[in-house]
Amino acid sequence: MSRRITTLIIVLLFAYGGVAAIVGSHSTPKLGLDLKGGTSVILRAPEGTDPDVLTKAVEIMRGRIEAFGVQEPEIAISGNNSVLVQLPGVTDRARALQAIGQTGVLSFRPVFTSSFQSPIFDTTTATTAATTTTTPGDTTSTSADTTTTEATTTTTSLPEGVDPGTGFTITDSPELLRAWVPEYDSNGSLTAGYEIGTLCNDGTTLATCQEGSDGNPTNGTPDPMTGSDITEALANFSQTTGQWQVDLKLNDDGARKFQELTRAAAQFPTGDPERQIAIVLDGKIISAPQVASTVDANIGIAGGSAVITLGAGDNQQAAAQDLAVVLRYGSLPVSFEQDQVQSVSATLGSDSLRSGLIAGLAGLILVAIYMLLYYRSLGAVTIVGLSVFGSLMLIVLGLLSRTAGLTLTLAGVTGIVVSVGITADSYIVFYERIKEELHRGRTMKAAVDEGFSRAFHTIITADTVSILAAVLLWLLAVGPVKGFALTLGIATFLDILVAYFFTRNAVSAIAHSGLGEGGRFSIRAAAGGVQEAS
Amino acid sequence: MNLIRRLYRGETSFDFVGARRLWLTISAALVLVSLLALIVFGLNLSLDFRGGVAVEASNPAGASVADMRAALAPLGLDEAKIQELAGGADIRVQVGALTPSESEAFQKAVAEATGTTISEISLNEVGPTFGAQITNRALTALIVFLAAVVLFISWRLEWKMAVAGIAALFHDLVITFGIYALTRFEVTPATVIGVLTILGYSLYDTVVVFDKVKENVEELHTDRMTITELVNRSMNQVLMRSINTSLTSLLPVGSLLFVGSFLLGAQTLRDFALALFVGIAAGTYSSIAVASPILASWKEHEEEWARVRRRRDRGRGSRSETPASPTVTKQAPTRKSGATPRPPKKGRKR
Repeated sequence: MSRRITTLIIVLLFAYGGVAAIVGSHSTPKLGLDLKGGTSVILRAPEGTDPDVLTKAVEIMRGRIEAFGVQEPEIAISGNNSVLVQLPGVTDRARALQAIGQTGVLSFRPVFTSSFQSPIFDTTTATTAATTTTTPGDTTSTSADTTTTEATTTTTSLPEGVDPGTGFTITDSPELLRAWVPEYDSNGSLTAGYEIGTLCNDGTTLATCQEGSDGNPTNGTPDPMTGSDITEALANFSQTTGQWQVDLKLNDDGARKFQELTRAAAQFPTGDPERQIAIVLDGKIISAPQVASTVDANIGIAGGSAVITLGAGDNQQAAAQDLAVVLRYGSLPVSFEQDQVQSVSATLGSDSLRSGLIAGLAGLILVAIYMLLYYRSLGAVTIVGLSVFGSLMLIVLGLLSRTAGLTLTLAGVTGIVVSVGITADSYIVFYERIKEELHRGRTMKAAVDEGFSRAFHTIITADTVSILAAVLLWLLAVGPVKGFALTLGIATFLDILVAYFFTRNAVSAIAHSGLGEGGRFSIRAAAGGVQEAS
Repeated sequence: MNLIRRLYRGETSFDFVGARRLWLTISAALVLVSLLALIVFGLNLSLDFRGGVAVEASNPAGASVADMRAALAPLGLDEAKIQELAGGADIRVQVGALTPSESEAFQKAVAEATGTTISEISLNEVGPTFGAQITNRALTALIVFLAAVVLFISWRLEWKMAVAGIAALFHDLVITFGIYALTRFEVTPATVIGVLTILGYSLYDTVVVFDKVKENVEELHTDRMTITELVNRSMNQVLMRSINTSLTSLLPVGSLLFVGSFLLGAQTLRDFALALFVGIAAGTYSSIAVASPILASWKEHEEEWARVRRRRDRGRGSRSETPASPTVTKQAPTRKSGATPRPPKKGRKR
């Protein structure tokens, strides 16, 4: 058996065997949302956002989306400063968007009671040191052991049934809770107007007031201040006190609310849980500083600025910086703009997929018929070659889908359909070369060999331009263009491989067989029946 | 030998370059019309470039355009663009930028009017700056791509070929966008993808022709053939390939266009295919009618080729003896048919 026949068999075995393996192991490419239905969102951070910050934001979004119960969400940084969120089959679009897009709902609320004060909770790890310091003027500094991000909760000290993450799902021990929080009714549910949260870092549980539907507290306490009332929040090291602190600047509305809040809190003696202000983010209490002992109970903290003192030491520096970030942006470290929301219903998705496949198949069949009519036996090579090309394409996409999380979008499908044209061209360039060589009077075998080496040169040059376009598009573009560029690039690359390993050997095999010279189906006939020059 | 048979055997000898006046006049006219259309009408940019909300819903309730308009009136969305798709089975509504709560109310109204639920509605909501971003990205990609291609072709072939190729490319781009401006078809991000692909196609075609020119220059560079003749000869040699490639490219794209226009849910396919269809057609034409004549005219001025021409001019009297090139046998029969590839200057003098 000659070497070219061996190569041909290897190529065919590899291509068809690979497809069988891919289909058999259910590794066919995953479909994009535009083909199977779902919602995709492009969020954009301001120009020049630190990549680390983006990564952190993506992590937070992922956490939120998973909490929302979405199956297989895909959240990825795309381009310099965009985040692409893909949610397959989400029905409650509005809520899902809120969960990822918003920076989080931040509010400052009154505190009613704290497990720190309660004997029921054996909060051995609670370390709230009620050290209060005073800064001149109306500004107060309060001290509490607050940090934000590392939410390691000492679950052992919580009553059974209390979710350490949220502190809300209290169902098992209503008796315990009623004893502790008088606002619990006899059914064991929280009276409207209150909610319970856990201070993340030490497991201290707080009860705060809840917002009613109008955004105001339902139990007659002062309005909570929201994150949008804060105009500035900066972590600082105070030379006067030698401690880390967060400086807050509030707008007029915020200043009024903050003064109300602190005045109400200052009614309680120093050390009382109700002298605390809870900073609540998305229902999670992230910090609960005490109002300083020097604050006048008749006035509160006025003037629209405040200081939250955290303490000395390196870990307090990190804590102050984290808190400042949360106060500024909510839980996302950067504010995003919603660039595009695209939602495709499942029926539209499958319609698109079907249309794409029909178009692709129809195109292939038309090309096959044309090639067969025009190039006779060489056309048959093209048809087998296209099937090898298609198989390799499926293998590569399947593998990429499995290993690199590639999804096939409608733009990707069009990329493949277009690449059929490019692949067909490689055959045409080659066959026209063979014809030309035959016209020059070369023998069949010489024409095929010479034709290939010349045509391959052309194919490489032309394909390089295509690959160049694909790579640049892939690097520079966003969204659907990327998917298109990827499949186009892969297809062009495969085209070169198929031309070299399959087409050359197959044509050469035909030239050596009876199909080269004789009959209407031969290469000679395809070349217009010119005779060898003697 | 009839034309088809000669085409089939690659033995045509059209004087492509000789007709460059005609080609370039046609092309200049097309480009001018396109530019005028772009200036006068502008492009019909889709929502993705302007910002806004579009929804597409199936329509079991059979709501008409008027029904939909009535349903949206209470929301103050009088300016909504409402279209029936797939013969009324689908309905598409497009409005300007909305706040999240307005957008929800809008979706709810459409769902009620069509008898569907919000989750069954397909939605495309775009911020006002998104389009500018896509455009900027596409332009960046275009510029970097052009620079890379000029370098690549200059290295692999010749820098004058790179410039001629880029000229043909701009010709294709302007005409494609001109057709979009004239027909008022919407320019969507899918169109942008299509146009970016045209870049590849147009150059690909030109590269194949120029590759042949380069080969012929190396092989047949005798003192007897002018560059114009060489380019002509190369183009005739690759003519069948150009036609075949265009056909095999247009067949799948045409089927995309057909399926996209007549089957449900394939609007993206249609947007994409239309740009490609126009672009590929223009690309094939321009590699023959723009890139090659420019290259030939330009290279005629090179000292080396000018010398060949002067020598040819002097030996005009003995022209019938000149085809002593290695191509005698192939060219002899076609010369008699009168379609001799010859320098156009000479042709006009006669």
